[in-house]
Amino acid sequence: MIDLSKVDAGLWREVVESCGDIRHCFTCSTCVAGCPAAEASPPLFVRDLVRKVLLGLSESLLEDETPWLCVTCSACEEMCPMGVKPFEICLAVRRWQARNDESFIPASVAEIFETGHTQPVDRVREKRRAVGLEEVPPTIARFPEMLEKFREMLRETDLVKNNEFMFKG
Amino acid sequence: MKYGLFLGCNVPAVRPDVERAIRLSMPRLGAEMADLPGSVCCPAFGSFPSADETASLAVSAWNFSIAEDLGVPMVTQCGSCYSSLRMALERLHGDDALREKVQGLLRGKAGREFRGTAEVRHITDVLFNDIGAERIRGSLEFPLDGMSAVVQYPCHTLYPSEIVGFEESSGRPRMLRGLVEALGAEVRPYSRELQCCGGAGGFVKGSFAGASEYAFRKLRALRAETDAGMIVVSCITCLEHMDRMQAELAKKDPAYVPLPVFDYNQLLAVCMGFDPAEVASISTVPREALVERIRGAGR
Repeated sequence: MIDLSKVDAGLWREVVESCGDIRHCFTCSTCVAGCPAAEASPPLFVRDLVRKVLLGLSESLLEDETPWLCVTCSACEEMCPMGVKPFEICLAVRRWQARNDESFIPASVAEIFETGHTQPVDRVREKRRAVGLEEVPPTIARFPEMLEKFREMLRETDLVKNNEFMFKG
Repeated sequence: MKYGLFLGCNVPAVRPDVERAIRLSMPRLGAEMADLPGSVCCPAFGSFPSADETASLAVSAWNFSIAEDLGVPMVTQCGSCYSSLRMALERLHGDDALREKVQGLLRGKAGREFRGTAEVRHITDVLFNDIGAERIRGSLEFPLDGMSAVVQYPCHTLYPSEIVGFEESSGRPRMLRGLVEALGAEVRPYSRELQCCGGAGGFVKGSFAGASEYAFRKLRALRAETDAGMIVVSCITCLEHMDRMQAELAKKDPAYVPLPVFDYNQLLAVCMGFDPAEVASISTVPREALVERIRGAGR
């Protein structure tokens, strides 16, 4: 039973930012029918995330890890008959979670801050040389002075300002 | 035709043979692939886009500013890079206040300018629409005559079609098929052709059993319904995942015989006669025997 006197009625305004109008969702479940991660256990049911947001169930939403199962294929976005943009809701819920509980912030943001990449592109030199490529690709991995500017830029963002402990370099 | 090759993270680090194949095959078709010096992660959907929208768009705009300086359209093989960049561009064009905020971040500390002229293309779009099947056909030393394949369309190039699409219909894509046919192979349809590989995002990490079963169903259908001798993809995630999942399935079910998986540019480069040790050397399911057959057929 949901006690509607204890819900967070403004939650949807906090979460959805730029998504399509989430209030148009009528739980038809098209977003679930074509979703690979609906086969995970527990499954990702975007329609359930939408209900939680609309009903203002912030506590339950903050414990829900299913948005992180999304494969980002965006088929739901193509199929949704109401233009709700389910994929963008997944990302928006992740961001809301990351703002409200730092343990949701993905480690990859710190990796990108440190190196510009999510993979060690500058530490696979032998592998690259073996296929006839330059040992370090011409990305930021080759330009330390650009990496410093990149970090300077990111230091001005709320994410880095509010979670300085995560970001080295 | 001049383009900027957006490498992303996985291609240069995990499958540099794909990078090599692109760098060798595209110029032979008249497409110059310039470097985008100083480019960073697209950013991947599971990183900044899942944490902070403004920071995420600043990272995207960093990449756009590099391509804008060179005046070239960005071209990427990775489906996730393609979609992340296209969606970011859409967002930046659609919200003046947000764009100005992001422009301010770039200008202030990074000394870079996002003008809004950047263009993002997927490599299959460039191959099919700018270069064309005829020119590809004319570039081959070892065509795939008598061979058959299945294709895996990258979801990120299909959905949402109004932002990322370049096919006439996202429900009936045809370009990758046309590109493989241009190499001389026949492309076999099957019931689960349009099923996502399932390899991107958090599905595999968060629910390995579910993700495996999901992939196995596709792979079993592919084997049961077709006589294809290879799988052709054009996305680093499809490439790695269909390769890996076939090996997993073969471990579980010895009756399953895995098929070689190629990125399209790898197969193209092999057909053009480039050294397989450079353009198609890294995989889980062995490709050597098929590559030898392809190279033998041309003689």
